[in-house]
Amino acid sequence: MAATPISELALQDHPPRLLAGKSPGMRLARHTLTLIALALLVLPFADLHVLSRAPWGELGRIAQGLVLPHFGSVESPLSAIGLTVAVALWGTLAGMIMGFPLALVFSRSRFVRAGCAFVRAIHELFWALLFLQVFGLSALTALAALAIPYAGIFAKVYAEILEQTPTAARDALPEGTGRLSRFVYTELPLAFAQLAAYTRYRFECALRSSVLLGFVGLPTLGYQLESAFREGRYFEAGAVMWLFYLLIASLPWWAHRRLVPLLALSSLFLLGPWPDIDASLVWRFVSQDIWPQPLLAGDINGLIDWLREIPELLPVIANTLLLGLLGSVGALLVALTLWPLASHHFGNRLTQVAGKGLLIFLRSTPELMLAFVFLLLLGPSLLPAWLALALHNGALIAFLVARHADNLKLDMVGLPASGKLGYQLLPRVYPGMLALLYYRAEVILRESAILGMLGIATLGYVIDDYFQTLMFDVAFLLLLITAGLNILVDAGARRLRPKGIQPS
Amino acid sequence: MSLVPPLAVFDGENLGHGDHVVLSEVHLTFHPGERIALLGASGAGKSTLLSALRQRLGKQAAWCPQHHGLVPELAVYHNIYMGRLEQHSGLANLWNLLRPLAAPWQDIATLCQLLGLEGLMKRPVGQLSGGQRQRVAIGRALYQQRSVFLGDEPVASVDPHQAVELLQVIHERHQGCVIALHQHRLALTHFDRVWGLDKGRVVLDAPSTELSLDTLDALYPSAGAATKTTMDIEQTAPWPQDSLPCPRGQA
Repeated sequence: MAATPISELALQDHPPRLLAGKSPGMRLARHTLTLIALALLVLPFADLHVLSRAPWGELGRIAQGLVLPHFGSVESPLSAIGLTVAVALWGTLAGMIMGFPLALVFSRSRFVRAGCAFVRAIHELFWALLFLQVFGLSALTALAALAIPYAGIFAKVYAEILEQTPTAARDALPEGTGRLSRFVYTELPLAFAQLAAYTRYRFECALRSSVLLGFVGLPTLGYQLESAFREGRYFEAGAVMWLFYLLIASLPWWAHRRLVPLLALSSLFLLGPWPDIDASLVWRFVSQDIWPQPLLAGDINGLIDWLREIPELLPVIANTLLLGLLGSVGALLVALTLWPLASHHFGNRLTQVAGKGLLIFLRSTPELMLAFVFLLLLGPSLLPAWLALALHNGALIAFLVARHADNLKLDMVGLPASGKLGYQLLPRVYPGMLALLYYRAEVILRESAILGMLGIATLGYVIDDYFQTLMFDVAFLLLLITAGLNILVDAGARRLRPKGIQPS
Repeated sequence: MSLVPPLAVFDGENLGHGDHVVLSEVHLTFHPGERIALLGASGAGKSTLLSALRQRLGKQAAWCPQHHGLVPELAVYHNIYMGRLEQHSGLANLWNLLRPLAAPWQDIATLCQLLGLEGLMKRPVGQLSGGQRQRVAIGRALYQQRSVFLGDEPVASVDPHQAVELLQVIHERHQGCVIALHQHRLALTHFDRVWGLDKGRVVLDAPSTELSLDTLDALYPSAGAATKTTMDIEQTAPWPQDSLPCPRGQA
């Protein structure tokens, strides 16, 4: 090498071709472009028609409702808010109580891991549809719908947090220290702040889910929102939206750590109505209704006939996956475009505040609510669902990326914005952004399925349909398929995710 | 030398974790009552040798790890109490978190007085200064009441005067110790023997009376220099000048 003449070196040293090279930046750029190309490739198979005649006029009326909300027309807002908070709080608490012990055995039991993956893979609203059949429109349905998937989520995340606690204190303990003592003196206090922070974040998610339970008929804020929107009372819908945003924005004050016990006790009285549980009916539902009759009778031929009678499922499954892929890629593009708006490295004070506001607005509005509004505007194709998924998840990722970028200190001052973006910031934040997207893919697919309940042709549409026609066996099978799909996509995303990147 | 059997003997062994050898061909003997200073640059294998000793000595040795290994969220009292966690039942330990047990509270209060931590028993360790944390870590090892003290740089973050005081407390309460440090002067004045490591080998094993400061400084030029500069920096600038508390302040 040392003997190579300089002229020869100069000849070899031509610049690399477009997008060539093994640097992490080029690797991620190729990865991203492949993802986008894949999305473009499947785009022709997606039904993206605009089916509404005058979307702009409708959008104007909705915007008007948001700008000039009419709070007086909301019926009993306090009881709706109270129930929304009570369900979210007790759903989270119940999920925590069930999830925490599971977290302790999570890494050691394959059975627990599989069970948790299963309950996590089914969306809160699907659980609500299932429990609705046994417990009716009651507080128990609402609580179980939140608590069961949350138990699975808490078990996994708590286990990960506990696993990552530093081991130095544990190693310093005298030998012969019991497991309980070790846990309460080292692992638990070391992890406590993180466990509490995650539980808080989950509670915020629970508030959104609790609102959404209104879409299946439980009298939370979402119920009023849905009926107001459906009947075109946009001034009332706008008022409910504002109540929801205020509730989320004021979270740090009313859900203060010290207030939580008081809040929990007092909100217990707001929960209701409680169902009359008929044990024999519950048992019949669990042991008979949700299973195909031929299966219970041991009739193999009958089971094949039963399966044949189910209409074609492939189109809805394909649509769900398609929407999941398009939603993920859309979220990536939205995040790439929006994050500089909220970062203090770009623009002025005014644009930063406005950008941050836009991201918080999009992030706080649940996908289902966004999709519902877009659906009213554009008609029931995949387009409104795609927009909703891309905007909500993109804004959520953009918000985290902007926060990451704001923590970085730039070494070079006086660079133009494009140089700052391309040379200083994007190379550092992009790996984290892509990792977040892959973590989010599972959530996006779960949402793709649930958006079907609004009338979009994904799995949720047929599940809702079979529950409404009381064909619980088919509905349950579809729920199992949805969960299986979700677990597969989660495993796939984990494998496809470029190696060596961590969300920050 | 003595008729009492040695506490630990390494007879040409390779030490490390798993298949990875950190220290090769170790020939060392640790006799009861000996106070041994362990010298070596960082990465020379001091921690490996200490953890091997800890394994050999088992319940005879009190242990004060590098970087303390404390739980910042818990009070000073609870961190020191952890030294005897294995002597109580799980339930008693649990109850002690909620309401300190009377007897340990008394013992630890006395210990805290000795270490200059009086009045800090209820304070979370995360709120203490570096030197105070160091004392808590030593307190936890003293509270174990073992016959031998093993410490991985237990006096690294206190000033020389305090280091002498702490070493005296440690010596008074144990019959022998192996302590890793980088203050050469202390190694000569407060220890009977010096073990020196360099690049994964034992390069020095001699009574401190046969050694001089110049020999040690010649063996470890960088270690002495490094300690000096760290202390200089600490005295002149308590925090790095370029990190303003508010990042926006620079934009």
